[in-house]
Amino acid sequence: MQVFLQTFIGGVSLGAIYALVAMGFSLVFRTMGLVNFSHGNVVMIGAYIASTFYLSVKLPFAVAMVIALGLTGLIGVFIERVLRPLENKDFDLMLIGTIGFGIVLEAVAIIIWGATGRAVPNPVAVAPVQIFGLRIRTYDLVVLAITTAATLLLVYFLQRTKRGAAMQAVAMDHEAATAVGIHVGRSNAIAFMLGAALAALAGGLVGPLLYVNPSMGGMLGIKGFAGAILGGFGSIPGAIVGGIAIGVLDSFAGGWFQGYSDLVTFLVFTMIIMIRPTGIFGERTVNRA
Amino acid sequence: MKYRIAGIAALVAFAWYLPYQLDSYMIHVANVIIVFAILAIGLGLVMGVAGQINLAQIAFFGAAAYGTAILTTRAGFGFWTAAALAMLIAATIGLLVGTPALRMQSHYLGIVTLGLALALTNWVTNAHIAGGAEGISGIPAPELPGIDLHNAYFFYYLELVVFLLALAFGLFVVHTPLGRKMRAMRDDSLAAGAVGVEVPQLRMTAFFLSSIYGGLAGVLYAGLIRYVAPESFSIANMFLLLAMVIIGGRQSLIGCVVGAVALSLLREVLVDYPTYAQVAYGSVVVLTVVFAPTGLAGLPKRIRGLLRRVGWLPGDTGPVPKLGPFLPYAETPRPAAEPILRIDEVSMHFRGLKALQEISMTVNAGEIRGIVGPNGSGKTTLFNVVSGLYRPTAGRVYLADKDMTAASPHVLARKGIARTFQNLRLFALLSVRDNLLVALDQTSILSNWRYVLWQAGVWRHDQSLRAEADELLQRFGLTDFADSAPGELPYGTQRRVEIARAMARRPSLLLLDEPAAGLNGEEVRQLSEIVRSIRASGVTVVIIEHNMGLVMSLCERVTVLASGRVIADGTPAEVARAPQVVEAYLGDSAMSEDVPEIVETEAAR
Amino acid sequence: MFSSVRRRAAVLFLALATPVVLVACAAPGSDNNNKQNTEGPIKIALVDAQSGQLSSLGAWELKGVRLAMDEWNAAGGINGRQIELGIFDDQGDPTVGTNLARKIAAEGYIAMLGTAESAVTIAMAPILKESKIPNITSGQSPGLVAVKSPFLFLNGPTSTTYDETLAKYIVDTKGIKSIAMITNNGGYGKGEHDAFLKALSSRGVTPLDDQVVTTDQKDFSAALTTIRQKNPQVVFIGAEEVQSGLIVKQARDLGLTVPFAGAAPQGTPVFVDTAGVANAEGSIVSSPYLSNDINDATKKFAAAYKAKFNEDAELHGAKAYDGAQILFTALKNNKGATGEALATAIRGTKHAGLLGNFAFDDTGVGIFATTIGLIKNGKLVSA
Repeated sequence: MQVFLQTFIGGVSLGAIYALVAMGFSLVFRTMGLVNFSHGNVVMIGAYIASTFYLSVKLPFAVAMVIALGLTGLIGVFIERVLRPLENKDFDLMLIGTIGFGIVLEAVAIIIWGATGRAVPNPVAVAPVQIFGLRIRTYDLVVLAITTAATLLLVYFLQRTKRGAAMQAVAMDHEAATAVGIHVGRSNAIAFMLGAALAALAGGLVGPLLYVNPSMGGMLGIKGFAGAILGGFGSIPGAIVGGIAIGVLDSFAGGWFQGYSDLVTFLVFTMIIMIRPTGIFGERTVNRA
Repeated sequence: MKYRIAGIAALVAFAWYLPYQLDSYMIHVANVIIVFAILAIGLGLVMGVAGQINLAQIAFFGAAAYGTAILTTRAGFGFWTAAALAMLIAATIGLLVGTPALRMQSHYLGIVTLGLALALTNWVTNAHIAGGAEGISGIPAPELPGIDLHNAYFFYYLELVVFLLALAFGLFVVHTPLGRKMRAMRDDSLAAGAVGVEVPQLRMTAFFLSSIYGGLAGVLYAGLIRYVAPESFSIANMFLLLAMVIIGGRQSLIGCVVGAVALSLLREVLVDYPTYAQVAYGSVVVLTVVFAPTGLAGLPKRIRGLLRRVGWLPGDTGPVPKLGPFLPYAETPRPAAEPILRIDEVSMHFRGLKALQEISMTVNAGEIRGIVGPNGSGKTTLFNVVSGLYRPTAGRVYLADKDMTAASPHVLARKGIARTFQNLRLFALLSVRDNLLVALDQTSILSNWRYVLWQAGVWRHDQSLRAEADELLQRFGLTDFADSAPGELPYGTQRRVEIARAMARRPSLLLLDEPAAGLNGEEVRQLSEIVRSIRASGVTVVIIEHNMGLVMSLCERVTVLASGRVIADGTPAEVARAPQVVEAYLGDSAMSEDVPEIVETEAAR
Repeated sequence: MFSSVRRRAAVLFLALATPVVLVACAAPGSDNNNKQNTEGPIKIALVDAQSGQLSSLGAWELKGVRLAMDEWNAAGGINGRQIELGIFDDQGDPTVGTNLARKIAAEGYIAMLGTAESAVTIAMAPILKESKIPNITSGQSPGLVAVKSPFLFLNGPTSTTYDETLAKYIVDTKGIKSIAMITNNGGYGKGEHDAFLKALSSRGVTPLDDQVVTTDQKDFSAALTTIRQKNPQVVFIGAEEVQSGLIVKQARDLGLTVPFAGAAPQGTPVFVDTAGVANAEGSIVSSPYLSNDINDATKKFAAAYKAKFNEDAELHGAKAYDGAQILFTALKNNKGATGEALATAIRGTKHAGLLGNFAFDDTGVGIFATTIGLIKNGKLVSA
């Protein structure tokens, strides 16, 4: 029982990171109907920027995070700008274009920061919380709190602000939105910027948990994307539930199937998607007949 | 033609004498390039030709390479036996990976195929039989009597022969019915289903084909390197392969080969700077998708277009293509007035929206039936239910007394239903002739065994289809446009191509969704002539139309829909006078101007 | 015909591309062959991961080899001939390795140093054997011995030695019998797993638990909680530097306080950084090169290394330095012999190196001892 619960807690803590990654995927997808396959590599860039300002410039962790969010957001804007000619045209081509961006980002990270990576010390060095013999890292609680706050802010932005409402309108019907005077390009750029900022948040937070290196984006991206699909692509609550579900699934697969955990995780994922292709909450997608 | 044969001969001669130019390392590089070229052809077939995102091509490759390695070193099979079995393994995995394609598309398919590829890598990393992370070494070289295939130079010729056969077969598939259907499915899977293409089975076939190429490459790889390890089948290599196909031009198999050769050589040149090579090919992928989506293969055409615009090349000097007259069908005696289509209490709900509510109507054989109604009244939804795109929430649809409610579009197409679409759904990258050829081919997916065993039969079948297509083009006056892409044609001509494509099925029931939308007066007159002739040839026609003049003059009976219900049904004159119809139309501001037109037409009679 | 136009265009393009093929293929090394030059510089290949995740090993090895080479060249080379080093990047990929093996054979290199990754070396071994090119590798997997190539030599002990020493210290010296294992399924982890398990079973000890993780696993809660419940006194860890660090860090968070034991990766600064200094405290490390202060030779090496590269020397650089010295000595003593003669010369070379005294046996292993160190305050010290 204790192993079971502790495994679950371990899964949730990484799952919270996957959830942030998944949310970035979903936000971009629901706004412009694009799957950004470079998202995982944007997470990696965010992790590097955050750790650089934290370790090399010696800024406080929170400040480093804010800078990373801003800079990475700009990278998002850049990617959107380059791929803009393809928007609302060829879905598959854009998807492949983002794969190309991912390849470049990884190589650029190697050129700037080297191939070997770096360890980031835990900024919240407090002993783990103990309940009923279970141990929960304080840092995990911080991650969970930040994830929750980010989700609430995002939902507030989308539902209560004018800009957010405009983005929702673009998501529903970009032609009608243009007709009522909403700037679709700007809306897409904001979606991409927010998506990249979410990626940087995930990357910055995951740094002290793991190890920052140029290839860290691959797995984080794939698992985060799987989480977004599992929850219902484009749905914000779906991204949260799906991301955490992938984390937990992964954790138990590791415990029960040892070295074969990836095999099991992806087979289970494929089966769930085959049975329910639109995920737990259903796909929230742009209707492009 | 003469140039082409000379070009091919020169290339083959070049490939044949290439080894004499190369040292022992460069011949190895050439051998690896050929393996990647075969892989790229497979990926081009499934992604570029059939439009299915497949990030598991590297897994098919790995499965066959590992299959060969395990069967030769662990089970003691000879190389060729092991290779045959390994191909079988790769094909099985291809079908398994293709299964999700039945249910999902684009990005879903992307992540699922990627996940399955990772699962396979994970398995070989762990499994004792696959040698774990250290892989399997000591794979024996293939043996051929009299030829020492340990020698990289002889191996090159083996690969070259396999490659040429694989390429020829790939091109053969692309330009005959199977490949044409795949391209049609890629351009518009809904329209493909509506002209009888068995879309789900065809997706599986595409994955199967690509896995055969993956398997072929894997076997050659095992024989060439004689060592396998998990890293060689990693996601990074999958993305590299993807880059080859995209840069080369995914819709052209030759393009895929060029991409594979070009990128491999680039990597070889930058072998000491792999990070910069990565930046280079990643950027080229981004630039390609933005500026040259057709890749290197599409460049000559773009350059020609550019030169023509600057005036360095003469433009098309031939006569301006013209839409010919429609040649009417031979008339057949009108069939007995038996119901051919019966819709019984059909309802269609989308989440909260009730698009159709308990619709019932009957269409008799030989009739021209009009369906009118304000925008959003459910007309197109009704067509979508009848042609099998939607499964109704309640109610039944009978085709000549047979219940066809749950049938899929391609089954209904084979039962004699053909349709056109409100927003034109022609296969954009296929020529007008190819659009018709897809619809003309009535063979089922099972007949594709002939591709393996009896290619001449495929060829002959294709020739007879082409003859039929020429006749059909002639009948619809489209001969001048036969080789144009649909997008280059005037709108009215595209409408006519779509009707021709629907008639290529030789349907018994033709559904036309707003065929007159966007046509000028003369074109509407021609349309009306075409529809009458189609009816006279024994085909029942159901037509959705906003052009009341056309409806009133053409249709014998008219059904009026409003808010998802039938509100009137009768002859045009009866319907036009019905108070509920007038009210429904007045309630809809967009349509209110149509009402006087009805009266005018009535008066003119 | 639309399609035929496209086809013709593509063919045309291929034709245009072919001169590129011709030039690119013909250019490099086409005038080199396997002629055994007896004049001019001696060509030695160094193959290692210079890019990718394992590139830190590659960088260290390059420094070790370069230091040795520069010393020899400054002293007049080998019998008056300068040493010329060709550096190749295997990207940590065995397939790239097989390509490089053919390349160095085609370009007339007489011997190869590296790689640091056993899987890559194993992949290259058959080709090097065929081309009769001796190879001194930095790998340590028992799989290297299993290849049975007379041209393959190791510049350090195998995992068997590392783990035998470790088991001897833990079980025999400390009398600890309750031991748990956590290893990854990669090439290195698998080798460590098998070697340590063998060393334990030869002492009649069965591990309390034997957890396997994947090489890119990030969360070890399940494995570590299971281990904690078995209550071991020591946990053996078989994984690369970073993952070992992550495992130790998470273990401490999960309340697993006993020391971890492992081979070379646990002695590196990367491991200590990733785990955190406090968490790594007390880790037991089996290493042939505990520090730069073992004897005069290591002190001299460390000083030269620091002067040349402005960083502290460590195990991998030292191993590569030893390997290069052995190769150069063998070449010198046999007047620039190549092929089988060079392999025999290497096997016959006795060398007092930084790691100890090398004397090769038939399996290509020249050194059979490691020492035990402990991590104290983030530094590796002798136990």
